[in-house]
Amino acid sequence: MSGPATDSSKGKDSHGEYHKPGIHWLRHLGENWAIYRRNPMGMAGLGLLVMFALMALASFIPPLVDPMYHPMSGVDPEIDRSLGPTARHWLGTDFMGRDILSQLLTGARVAFLIGVSAAFMAVAIGTLVGMVAGYFGRAVDTLLMRLADIVMVLPGLLVILILSSVFGQLSVWNLVIIVGLLKWAGVSRVIRSQTLSLKVRPYVEAAKVAGASHSRILLRHILPNVLPLSFLYMTFGVTSAILIEAALSFLGFGDPSTVSWGMMLQWIWKTGHMFRAPYWLLPPGICISLITLSFYLVGRAMDEVLNPRLRKEVLEQ
Amino acid sequence: MNLRKFLLVRSWQILLTFFIVLTLLFILFRMAPGDPLSTIADPLMTQEEVEILKAQFGLDQPLHRQYVLYLWNFMKGEFGTSFHYRQPVVQILADRLPKTALLFTTVTILYALAGISLGKILAWKRGSLLDTGMSFLGLLTHTFFLPWLALLMIWIFGYHLGWFPLNGIVSPEIWLDPESGLFLKVLDVLHHMALPMAVLFLTHFGGYTLVMRSTMLETLREDYILTARAKGLPERVIRNRHAAPNASLPVVTSLGLSLAFSINGGALTETIFSWPGLGRELVSSVAHGDYPLAQAAFLLIAAFVLVSNLLVDIIYAYLDPRIRY
Repeated sequence: MSGPATDSSKGKDSHGEYHKPGIHWLRHLGENWAIYRRNPMGMAGLGLLVMFALMALASFIPPLVDPMYHPMSGVDPEIDRSLGPTARHWLGTDFMGRDILSQLLTGARVAFLIGVSAAFMAVAIGTLVGMVAGYFGRAVDTLLMRLADIVMVLPGLLVILILSSVFGQLSVWNLVIIVGLLKWAGVSRVIRSQTLSLKVRPYVEAAKVAGASHSRILLRHILPNVLPLSFLYMTFGVTSAILIEAALSFLGFGDPSTVSWGMMLQWIWKTGHMFRAPYWLLPPGICISLITLSFYLVGRAMDEVLNPRLRKEVLEQ
Repeated sequence: MNLRKFLLVRSWQILLTFFIVLTLLFILFRMAPGDPLSTIADPLMTQEEVEILKAQFGLDQPLHRQYVLYLWNFMKGEFGTSFHYRQPVVQILADRLPKTALLFTTVTILYALAGISLGKILAWKRGSLLDTGMSFLGLLTHTFFLPWLALLMIWIFGYHLGWFPLNGIVSPEIWLDPESGLFLKVLDVLHHMALPMAVLFLTHFGGYTLVMRSTMLETLREDYILTARAKGLPERVIRNRHAAPNASLPVVTSLGLSLAFSINGGALTETIFSWPGLGRELVSSVAHGDYPLAQAAFLLIAAFVLVSNLLVDIIYAYLDPRIRY
């Protein structure tokens, strides 16, 4: 970055120079990956995520093999109760003879679907609100941040319970939207403080002098610089979305058109199988816990890449 | 900013937040599909009962009048009658609140203190086997799915080993027996509390331990720690008097921030262990379509979260002299 004031007068060509420092994380992707790879916990998390992704893909196979492996409607004609693992049903069957393994695989698909899309909603809203609040400041900032404070003290699961008491059963997509609307606040605060420090940087000042509009500055100069942080918070958001869906389904308010890990636990609990069917109780709980753990580990490792201050060698000097 | 001003500002913000939640709830219940009457009157009520409720909640009046009446009813503590219990909502909630407060407050204090003291020690012995092992354990239990952990604990410690009751808050045979003294009754409640508390403790202490550990590591690099070392102070004094109090401030902050999250966990725990508290009441009232009870239980929980936040602020102000003076 050299001579911002003189360069900006040259117009659009050199204008491109100014946001490049901002997206240097993209150019240094290889370098960042090298830092990430040095973190064994982060690599373990990534490995687990790949495993869950493969499970989600594999969920399409069982119903193709035989309709009795369909996670919701498939019932083994010879089994009408919960039985332990056999060659036909590798993880056993649930209380009405449905295959637990294919339910588990479908659960992975649902967890990814809900987790990623709800986290994306939350992070998109949070990034937008944070940038606007930080960039415009004053009354806009106060108003948006007070709103964030209010959203942050609401217990998300209970709010969703109240919503489903008023509107009845929530579909997966409604749930995604609601979780997005409930979980943006934390992200917006981080993005806001990042924006506050970015908007006084010389290249933003230069863009202003050159006559760039607010939306251009926000989109071309601020956004590329806050995106890595948004992406980081998305990994944490996925976890909380998956947990909320699982808890809601566990309490019996899940979308009945699909099976999720939380719902599997609800069936065990409600049918009283938790004392006699460990083959059924263990898999869904382990999956929810491990997917939470893996997103958390990936998030922490990414945090270290983005904040060199957090790296082990720095911390333990 | 002095302490009084700080607390006044925070109380005002909390009141405002509560008012907004109250208003949002009003809008939400008026947005409900179908007849608004269905959210306050049970289909089983007689015509006269319905008419009384209609007048009380002003359902025949314009929306702004309804809103004023809603606020007025709230001030009077009038939340209507529960469809399920056929009792005034206030009576039911007054019975549930202390039970939630007992479980939740005890366990919150326990895991916050455990997190602070454990994180302090782990940071002090960073890189040791104890540090690696406990950090990993804390992370692992932190990511356990709470209902699943609860079911596992019930299965192992309640059913298999038979050490603890499976659910509930008291054993009727002890509480109905005129012979049993207060000590025995208290012991019985504690016996019932053990498993739900263990579940909440295990899923929460790890997070605080990790926060405390990392802020403690940062604090240990401060100049005043170096000064304390140079003065030749004993290690224990440096750790407990110089480093730990400053490092625990972010833990207190995160305690406030994650209260809403812990309340979710509390509601799940209460439901699984049939602990007769507010969270379980909210869950079951939603399942029963018991609107007056669900609405009031939600408001009370929101108030509980907000007041706890204020308490956390007071603790913070007490710990941080920059706010106190």
